[in-house]
Amino acid sequence: MRTDLRDLRNGLLFCSPWLVGFSVFTLLPVVICARYSLSDYSATPQPRLFIGAGNYHDLLHDPLFRKSIANTLYYAAIALPAGMLVSLGLALMLNADIRGRAIYRTVIFLPSLVPTVATACVWLWLYNAKYGLINNLLRSIGIQGPAWIDDRHWAMPSLALMSLWGVGNTVVIYLAGLQDVPRDVLEAAEIDGATHWRRIWHVTIPMLSPVIFFNLIMAIITTLQVLTIPYIMTEGGPENATYFFTMAIYDNAFRYLHMGYASAMAWVQLVLILGLTGLAFWTSKRWVHYGGGG
Amino acid sequence: MKLLKRVMLTFLLAIGTGFLVFGPRPGQSLPADRVIVEYWEKWTGNEGDAMKRSVADFNDSVGREKGIYVRYLSMSNIDQKTLAACAAGVPPDVAGLIQRQIVQFSALGVLEPLDDLARSHGITADLYKPIYWESCNDQSHLWCLISTPGVVALHYNRGVFRQNAAALRGAGLDPDRPPRTIAELDAYSRVLDTYGPDGSLDRVGHLPMIPGWYLDYTFYWFGGDIFDPSTQRFTLASPQNIACYEWLRSYSLRLGKGPMQKFRGGVGKQFDTPQNPFISEKVAMEQQGPWLAGFIYNLTKRAEPWRPSMSEALVPRSQEGQLPNRRENYRWAAAPFPSAVPGLENVTFVDFDALVIPHGARHPREAFEFIAYVNRQDVMERLCKLHCKNSPLRAVSRDFLEHHPNPYIEVFESLAASPHARALPHVPIWPEAHKELDDAAQSVYLLDAEPREALQRAQDHLQAKIDRFRERERLRNFSNAH
Repeated sequence: MRTDLRDLRNGLLFCSPWLVGFSVFTLLPVVICARYSLSDYSATPQPRLFIGAGNYHDLLHDPLFRKSIANTLYYAAIALPAGMLVSLGLALMLNADIRGRAIYRTVIFLPSLVPTVATACVWLWLYNAKYGLINNLLRSIGIQGPAWIDDRHWAMPSLALMSLWGVGNTVVIYLAGLQDVPRDVLEAAEIDGATHWRRIWHVTIPMLSPVIFFNLIMAIITTLQVLTIPYIMTEGGPENATYFFTMAIYDNAFRYLHMGYASAMAWVQLVLILGLTGLAFWTSKRWVHYGGGG
Repeated sequence: MKLLKRVMLTFLLAIGTGFLVFGPRPGQSLPADRVIVEYWEKWTGNEGDAMKRSVADFNDSVGREKGIYVRYLSMSNIDQKTLAACAAGVPPDVAGLIQRQIVQFSALGVLEPLDDLARSHGITADLYKPIYWESCNDQSHLWCLISTPGVVALHYNRGVFRQNAAALRGAGLDPDRPPRTIAELDAYSRVLDTYGPDGSLDRVGHLPMIPGWYLDYTFYWFGGDIFDPSTQRFTLASPQNIACYEWLRSYSLRLGKGPMQKFRGGVGKQFDTPQNPFISEKVAMEQQGPWLAGFIYNLTKRAEPWRPSMSEALVPRSQEGQLPNRRENYRWAAAPFPSAVPGLENVTFVDFDALVIPHGARHPREAFEFIAYVNRQDVMERLCKLHCKNSPLRAVSRDFLEHHPNPYIEVFESLAASPHARALPHVPIWPEAHKELDDAAQSVYLLDAEPREALQRAQDHLQAKIDRFRERERLRNFSNAH
């Protein structure tokens, strides 16, 4: 018993820097945010005014809030599956025994090391409607490219397409997962006459499903919180076509100084992410296979 | 392994010691016998250097005499940092904000009123051009004084005008002068638009959306308004404003929405680069402030081929006094932006960088000594010359006009002093108003909404927001009183 207590004490002491950091910089702000969401508060010397559910009521009647949610879900609907498929596809290809594999892996991973602002600046020029590389290439084969991020119909797909630029991190996680797929099972399937695609579909992917699940959860969280790239590239335009949920929170908190209203929005975002993550966990029982029977 | 550990440890210790011995030190030593005034400012580069010079001069003169030392600290997002510092109870003594934050910040109690301090220094309305003084005041209080101002004028490319002289004359227009009415501006623009071999726009005479910085205020050139302070109502859907948005839309209709969008996306939002659409001669006429001359001049220092032809001059700036008219030295020119209303002349929009004392500042009196110093005519003129801006003061010296880096400074001075000079409306929710106006303008020039419909929608949204702001203000006052 004494040893258990000592271990507990030592364990807590070792993780106390994280516990203190988490409590002060995450847990406490979350609790304060819940309190602010029930008030009219501007983070200024102006006194806080308790308004109950007033902010939540106002959210229901805010067209820009609804638009920002719809935009975020639209982006997630494109970027999330595209990112999952492309990164898995790249990982499968990079796992093959080919010449120069290390170079390909490095090339795929490198873009994820580029700072976000630099990436945005480069893509601004790539998407430039008149002088951009993409439209110049299209022009050389006789296609008039769209105005990309300056066209409200193309802006969101353009940003979603651009998100594939940073799949390197996910590819690395898939590659690590692929190393754990037992070779004997793959060989057994091959001996039984399974084609390459069948081996992937019936062996590799089920074996990789915990990793796919992890990446899915991370992708849900990140795509629903996207901010930096669209803020730099489109500022939410044209005509709010790329006005994301997190952008609306930022604007309300730091531009309009409606910290209470922004806090209410942040709670809605948290509930939305929790809901979608919970849905993913619920469905995971059907398609995620843990090797250890978990 | 043990040796490797020792080597690593020694290496890390060496780095740490080196950092302590040779690492960064505070940039300036602070005099112990003076009150230290913390001054936060957004400027960096040339503009920051110019203000630092004023700070240094203050510290060596008035500051020395009165025992005050101003410490200049340059930072980004100064508005947010000032707010955070105020909320934490440790604000700077002076903060360099911009005009559009003043009414919002004062309404939220972030700023100290300066009335008594200004009065004690003899700073009164009659020292300033009326529009600037009016904009420093709200709800019968003075909330800021000016560090450097701005005023908007039409900038036009005389080189392009000359190259197209025959075509302009053919359209009944004079290539040797700028347009004087909105109808003339449109006519000049039609002549100066050019298309590439693939049919895409190569240059536009004028496009109101480039740079688009002043779209929110375009109503003023049509005799319209944004907000009526006496009734606390937005007036966006007025006939003048609808006419203004009809004009905005006419450019998309004439040039075609697709080509216009591609052109706009193509020339981008570049400003301080040779790719600036006006400097790269992709736009022949645009609205800009007096500072543009400084940015054009700075580009002369670029090596070929990155030096734009717009920055070419007949003689070096140091010798332009020998020319009969120094304006002839430049390829560009400035004039009042034309108005759509006959008789409504010298319409302009002014804004400025403001010096404020945040709520809870520890040394407000000493801080105001510095603000008052910056607003002295000689100090203000030197700073405005270095920033290539006009002066907010009524009195302007001959030296300021003759040796200002902008050869058209008289144009800007007379515009700022004009009775038709306008500024931001006194709206405490201006950032939200800007967003609504931006959305309305976009939906109109992208031909997705009729001007009346877009303006009415924006007006309804904003009216609901200002009503809610006032209602909560009333509730807050009521709960404080009880």
